[in-house]
Amino acid sequence: MQAPVQVFVARRVITMNPAQPFATHVAVRDGRILAIGGLDEIGDLGPVELDTRFADSVVLPGFVEGHSHLFEGAVWRDPYVGFFDRRAPDGRVVPGLKSIDAVVARLREVAAETASSDAPITAWGFDPIYFGGRRMNLADLDAVSRERPVVITHASIHIMNVNSKAMALAGLDASTDLDGLVRGLQGEPTGELLGPEAMGHIRRRVVADAFGRKLDADAMARFGDLARQAGVTTATDLVSDMSDEIVETYRTVSADPAFPLRLAPALAARFFGVPEGVARWQQLQALGSDTLHFGLVKLVVDGSIQGFTARVRWPGYHNGAPNGLWYVAPSELGGIIEAYHRAGALLHIHTNGDEATELAVDMLERTLIAQPRPDHRHTLQHCQMPDPALFRRIKSLGLCCNLFANHLYYWGEEHIAQTMGLARAMRMDACGTALRMGIPLAIHSDAPVTPLAPLFTAWCAVMRLTSAGRVLGEGERISVADALRAITLGAAYTLKLDHLVGSLEVGKFADFAVLAEDPLDVEPMRLKDIAVLATVRGGDVFPAA
Amino acid sequence: MSIPVTILGGFLGAGKTTALNHLLRRGRERIGVLVNDFGAINIDAHLIEAAEADLVALSNGCVCCALGPDLGASLDRVAARQPDRIVIEASGVADPWRIAQLVRLEPGMTLDAVLVLADATSFAAQSRDRYVADTVARQVARADLVLLSKTDIATTAELHASRAALLQLRPDVPVAEIHGGTLPDLVLGNPAPAGSRFVADAPEHGFRTWLYRNDDAFDEDRLRQMLASLPSSVLRAKGFCRLGDIAQLHLLQLVGRRFTLAPWPHPAEPGLVLIGTDRMPADADLAAMFERAKRPESPRP
Repeated sequence: MQAPVQVFVARRVITMNPAQPFATHVAVRDGRILAIGGLDEIGDLGPVELDTRFADSVVLPGFVEGHSHLFEGAVWRDPYVGFFDRRAPDGRVVPGLKSIDAVVARLREVAAETASSDAPITAWGFDPIYFGGRRMNLADLDAVSRERPVVITHASIHIMNVNSKAMALAGLDASTDLDGLVRGLQGEPTGELLGPEAMGHIRRRVVADAFGRKLDADAMARFGDLARQAGVTTATDLVSDMSDEIVETYRTVSADPAFPLRLAPALAARFFGVPEGVARWQQLQALGSDTLHFGLVKLVVDGSIQGFTARVRWPGYHNGAPNGLWYVAPSELGGIIEAYHRAGALLHIHTNGDEATELAVDMLERTLIAQPRPDHRHTLQHCQMPDPALFRRIKSLGLCCNLFANHLYYWGEEHIAQTMGLARAMRMDACGTALRMGIPLAIHSDAPVTPLAPLFTAWCAVMRLTSAGRVLGEGERISVADALRAITLGAAYTLKLDHLVGSLEVGKFADFAVLAEDPLDVEPMRLKDIAVLATVRGGDVFPAA
Repeated sequence: MSIPVTILGGFLGAGKTTALNHLLRRGRERIGVLVNDFGAINIDAHLIEAAEADLVALSNGCVCCALGPDLGASLDRVAARQPDRIVIEASGVADPWRIAQLVRLEPGMTLDAVLVLADATSFAAQSRDRYVADTVARQVARADLVLLSKTDIATTAELHASRAALLQLRPDVPVAEIHGGTLPDLVLGNPAPAGSRFVADAPEHGFRTWLYRNDDAFDEDRLRQMLASLPSSVLRAKGFCRLGDIAQLHLLQLVGRRFTLAPWPHPAEPGLVLIGTDRMPADADLAAMFERAKRPESPRP
């Protein structure tokens, strides 16, 4: 006895299959697409159940977030104090806080809600770059509490602000020699702490902030709630220590029929010696499923541009900051790449600055010459700064790029003023160049660094508007159709899951994003505002609200 | 009692793992080692008393543990075994001083020294390499001591070039040469400050020690100025001295360009030992420098 056939009817189905770009009907059996097209294509399937709930809606392949962290689901246990409005897992839109005073007022509310407690107060998402140069200081957060430690993590995740109580608990004062301790004109600490060392000290001695805690099933469920509202049906967890505990959690959560996502976690090489990491990756290959895919390995070559820790080429940082940091020794990178490549892993390599990208390309080239592997799909993640010559090498080696389009909006003005200057900022996240060269392209949010919202990410790649409303690099804008491909089939390709998800074709999983409006019809400026009504994973419908 | 912590830094290939292997095997102290690349540590099977996934306990009392992403947690793990000393291997691209800063914030631990190994056969090339020049420069900038390794296989030209490159990066950098990939005891420091036996063994090859025994009180400012102006051939100094008009006993600890002078509330016999390279000033010159740092008319206790 065959399973019943369910046919979804839509105003329009955008398939991402150029041979059949549009449809109105999608037939689903056993979670997979049995037929797609119109009445003719479903006419020969025998009895079907017609599902018309999307008859006035537009159906796309479920969005694929090729660079996210499931931590986005964990951070919401703490109050969000960012500048921009942001959607919480429960669907509320938390309003952005437009001044330091507003942040302090919000934190005072939080403190009052738990007035009897002496527990630390933690919050996340703070971003002072929009406050006209004014930085948060100890007095600001002392106004929240003098008795309880207050620890605020910035949106970039590379900076914290703390109050005097937290400083005291951490044993930090004006006499402390600590590189990440920001000081005022008299050498007094301001309560701002930069970088993983100083922040790690606070996490250890005062309180674990949202990013210092463990990822658990509850956090993954909250991530699923966010994904559902954003139209995402496949998401990466791009840094994983792949401990037995976390692997078991991935397996349990992804097997739950109520979980709306397929997961693609990446083994982060830095948690292992090379042979141990390769062995762990090989073990994992037997543990996957239709909803859990373990093919990826993540390498991190440098830091971040806005944190001045990315490795950049001549002429260096616009404001004269010294060059950034290698997170792996240049002389070791080649050996690490080769070991995982030979094992058959799909490498996702974080390179923010162009010097890091060039080194990664050099090492990939060496490996690919020594050990050719057709269809490797190795992907450069972020890859924010290559010039066209470097993109030509990326193309020649058959590499993919997943570019950080959201950076243009959130940090574009900062890149112009501080990190790159206008001329180089214009070529950042060069989606136009990548597509002109035929490089397989995805774009991403890096959630929780920026919100999980592929339509917004697509909008960033199309419009290239900074938060101040300026177009940053007209020549790198891409079409709406190309941007939609980058958040579906393009991202699926970089995960080597394009045979399963990313487009709507017979045999692939019935994973959809259901939208209220047709993204190919609306003004491109409105792309980010299109409502997501539901997602579908393997034929199961998950309403967004 | 506070556990002294030594940070061992230096770029890849400088010999950190070799030095650590040797240190563990020899077991002269009960050392707890935190290693960056656990797989590279090669301990003789007969020495292994107990082994876990990322920790090995040796029959000589040493313990070797993988340095995880959380430095503090790794330190706690090793400190729980109450070693005489902890040695932390910094990654080849890390600035070891940043680890030292965190160690200084740990209760129950004292930073002893930041030692940076530099491969005498390749340091000059590294200091010009487009990818790593600034990384090795940062490692040297705040090292207490730079130890030139592989001096036994480096050519004279390579050795000169490495020294020149180091001096160009930092003219006052204290540099010592080591042989056979071993960290000399004198460089590792911590000769027992109590009693009269400052240095048990004959000085190791390429090093000199100098003992200063004197009960007179120093002028604190003069002594500090003198210590700050010691030539970079003086690698370490340790011992007790009297300071100021009440001749208060102080513990002096100097490594490279960095020293501390702290009041010492317990009985101890005054006396200092200096450890240097064979380029350290002659004994008579050193004695003259210390004499000049004394109070004009030294009070006796």
